[in-house]
Amino acid sequence: MSNWIPLWLHKLSSPPTFYRFAGTLRPWAMALAVLFGVIALYGGLVLAPADYQQGDAYRIIFIHVPCAWMSMFVYAVMGVSSLIALVWRIKLAEVVAMESAPIGAAFTFITLVTGSLWGKPMWGTWWTWDARLTSELVLLFLYLGVIGLYHSFEDRRQGARAAAFLALIGIINVPIVHFSVNWWNTLHQGSTVKLFGPSKIAWGMLWPLLAMTLATKFYYIASLFHRARVDLLALEGGKDWVRQIAEDEARK
Amino acid sequence: MTRPGLAAACAAMLRRDLTLAWRRRGDIAMPVLYALIVTMLFPFALGPEDTLLQRIAGGVILVTVLLAMLLALDGMFSSDVEDGSLEQLVLAPQPLALMMGMKILAHWMTTALPLIVIAPLLAAMLHLPAAVIPVLLLALLLATPLLSLLGAVLVALTAGTRRSGMLLALMLLPLCVPAVIFAAGAVAAAQQGLPWIAPVAWLGAALVLAVVLAPLACAAALRIALDA
Repeated sequence: MSNWIPLWLHKLSSPPTFYRFAGTLRPWAMALAVLFGVIALYGGLVLAPADYQQGDAYRIIFIHVPCAWMSMFVYAVMGVSSLIALVWRIKLAEVVAMESAPIGAAFTFITLVTGSLWGKPMWGTWWTWDARLTSELVLLFLYLGVIGLYHSFEDRRQGARAAAFLALIGIINVPIVHFSVNWWNTLHQGSTVKLFGPSKIAWGMLWPLLAMTLATKFYYIASLFHRARVDLLALEGGKDWVRQIAEDEARK
Repeated sequence: MTRPGLAAACAAMLRRDLTLAWRRRGDIAMPVLYALIVTMLFPFALGPEDTLLQRIAGGVILVTVLLAMLLALDGMFSSDVEDGSLEQLVLAPQPLALMMGMKILAHWMTTALPLIVIAPLLAAMLHLPAAVIPVLLLALLLATPLLSLLGAVLVALTAGTRRSGMLLALMLLPLCVPAVIFAAGAVAAAQQGLPWIAPVAWLGAALVLAVVLAPLACAAALRIALDA
């Protein structure tokens, strides 16, 4: 039988099942995030060779680029779960979309800060109105708009649906961020790491980058699961399964 | 009971909103006064030097008009939410998207048109060359409906909330970056004697897209916001 996957997914969308599932996976995701993060930092800061042009200053790439990828990835996750939340009205999709927003905003903020720290020695300026930089800043504002709209409603589910709609409108910005370096030839360099075709980066620099990418992905999973669990408890406050958990906690 | 036709319903909607706006003529004057005063502040802040004012004139006028529209946007649905006529509109047999389109048109006519009418005056205050003014007006004619349509979707989303002024700015301003870039680009190109048709064509394309999609999105957003 091959229909256990849709069945299992269907079951997973119920809050108590997801609560237990996320609770089991979260420590593992966090452990993997720390493991890959340490490996990537060691590889990037100690093992990787210095750049022939930028010297050691390029090493901020191991934070900057994975966070930039995550800023778009999290928005995409938020957009997809927003669509699911609006079309099928699945409560879990609302929770995932709304709890992704602060994490994505944090990744975007880190991207902007590390980028400007990197830009000062290399370009000679903290900030320039380049297409990539501007669209990334717009991405941050979109995240903040979604968070702001979510919290301005008294009814949380209604707020989640309204903010999900805003997230869907804003998803148009994600391809703009991604392709901005190809469409406008300004200060920010083009992409060197490519999914399709050969990357223009030495292997010694590439593997710590990929390890850090894995670390940020696992951190996102761990953080999202934690936030979603808390949110589910708050949303489902009066339900039996939450009371059961509260009683079990009290008995300990 | 016979149902009024679509055209009659649209005309009634438009007439109602224009009448309501006309009964409160003072509100129509507010964005215009705001734009005049903001534009007046620039020569004071930057010094009355002709060349500097000429260089920034296009951008200043566009941003001022955008902010003035943002100020007025908040009130697009507020009176309808208060007296419950918005719920009636949602329940009406006519397509909500079309009715929203009419509301947006009425709002654009009462807030953006007066701003476009005084735009030559604003341009003259900042010494924009007279030859550039037609391009500025064309850019405004295409950019302001775009902002009204985009803004209406976001106003509809916040229709169910109480504090929405600053939130609206936070949501709308990132989304109108492209409109500002293209409109200001057209004015700047015309000022330097370069061909300015490309950015205007982009604005037109965006406007066509928005005219089709924004009323539908606005109706969907309104249903979400009022669904409590």
